[in-house]
Amino acid sequence: MSLLRAERLNKSFGGVRAVQNVSVAVPEGSIFAVIGPNGAGKSTLLNLLSGVYQPDSGSLSFNSADLVGLRAHQRVRLGMARTFQKIRLFRQLTLLENVLAGFHIHQDLPLWKCFLPVAVGRFREEARELLAFVGLEARARERAGALSYGQQRMLEIARALATRPRLFMLDEPAAGLNAAEVEFLLQKLTHIRDKGATVIVIEHNMDLVMNVAQRVFVMDHGVPLFEGTPREVQSNHQVIEAYLGGEFAA
Amino acid sequence: MAAAPWLITTPYWRGILVLCAMNVMLALSLNLVLGYTGQLNLGQSAFFAIGAYVSTILIKTYGWNFWLAALAAIVAAGLVGVALAAFAVRLRGHYLAIASLGFAVITYQVLINWEDVTEGVRGIYGILPPVSDTVGLFYLVAGIAFLIYFLLDNLVRSPVGDTLRAIREDEISAASLGVHSAVWKAFAFGLGAAIAGLAGVFYPGFVGTLVPDAFGIIESFTMMAMVIVGGAGTMIGPVIGAVLLTFLPELLRGVGELRLMIYGLALTLVVLFMPGGIVQAWVAVRNRLRS
Repeated sequence: MSLLRAERLNKSFGGVRAVQNVSVAVPEGSIFAVIGPNGAGKSTLLNLLSGVYQPDSGSLSFNSADLVGLRAHQRVRLGMARTFQKIRLFRQLTLLENVLAGFHIHQDLPLWKCFLPVAVGRFREEARELLAFVGLEARARERAGALSYGQQRMLEIARALATRPRLFMLDEPAAGLNAAEVEFLLQKLTHIRDKGATVIVIEHNMDLVMNVAQRVFVMDHGVPLFEGTPREVQSNHQVIEAYLGGEFAA
Repeated sequence: MAAAPWLITTPYWRGILVLCAMNVMLALSLNLVLGYTGQLNLGQSAFFAIGAYVSTILIKTYGWNFWLAALAAIVAAGLVGVALAAFAVRLRGHYLAIASLGFAVITYQVLINWEDVTEGVRGIYGILPPVSDTVGLFYLVAGIAFLIYFLLDNLVRSPVGDTLRAIREDEISAASLGVHSAVWKAFAFGLGAAIAGLAGVFYPGFVGTLVPDAFGIIESFTMMAMVIVGGAGTMIGPVIGAVLLTFLPELLRGVGELRLMIYGLALTLVVLFMPGGIVQAWVAVRNRLRS
């Protein structure tokens, strides 16, 4: 069954048609990869799915709830979380504070109690576990801005997981990572999927997702090019052309 | 703090102590919005004015009890704060600064021109403080300032504090975690405005008269200077800033015309060399001594 379903989505910026007639159905419990060259409209698609942008036309539903008109913060409560292509952390806050902020929608402390000296450790243990999951528990008290690029990516993932998503969307999570970090990331994505979440990964480098994704959706110039299993995508003529340019195609 | 009235015995300086406690409240109120939520609010003097005028008019014209009038003034200032936040919800950074500054200017003009109610530039005279002697007033205002410090200190450590700081650091990121930033900004604005209004409740009785000139936009900048000099986004920083910027201009009275220049220079130097304020500079010095 599809957890997320988009039909004939369109989004233009001025004269640029960033996303044209894109339809996707993301099966629950899968890792769904969206790949394409730079400027293919992948990030715009993710921004449409997560509510940063509203589509000009088309329909969009999550777990059979209509998403059109819902803003980003409202979609999080339905169980959708995301990371950003250009890492967006709370840089001046500690790692622990970053992850704790991720529990926002699960807080049930009455507002008046927040003015009193009460124990606020409800999510602390879980936040530390999430930091441990991405290998950063030893640095919980440091500022997020002090982390290396790869570590910042992992912290952003831990923070988004704090919302306890059913659908986790990552925008080019491997960009800027070294080979070991990419390996670690793919292992974590598989783990997140195995624990029951559905994962959408936007990726520029197609080799990267071939081993972990069940379905691969290929875009170019804002239009859908192809969708299939990784094996089907690798042998598809149009995809090779889009990536390598016409002159290399047979 | 409790011993201050014994150490300082002249009536003039005891008066400065009361002013200092009020400024601590104002700095704490602005710090919630500016320091913790990251909203460049230059309209805080207006909420101070609303607290002062609403309470005074209710007492003088309608014969209300002081504390009842104080409550009404706090609610009025808080509601106006929420309304300003709702109006400015899409504004941030410089745009919010200009909008909130405009609000302070409008409020000041209303105080001057709505003479039927505010008496305009003629002012309201013969206002009595809730307690008659200066030392008692100091303990009352300082006690309330202390209580507010305590409540806000808990608040910024609570999950609400995490949420406000998240908005300060990155609103888009906060939204991706389910934070409805407009609601939380309105909360911070409203609470900050209510606290500034509470400080305003004590001002007219302390001075004895109420004129619009006490609430010019320069007051907003003074509050901002207190927060930034002490350390925005820390709890103790704005308190230090408020104490320092209350006493420094008074201590400089001896040098006459040079006073404002020295004051201005000191502010400039702090912003240039201690951008995180006194608290952050102190932390940096301590860390260096340790290593």
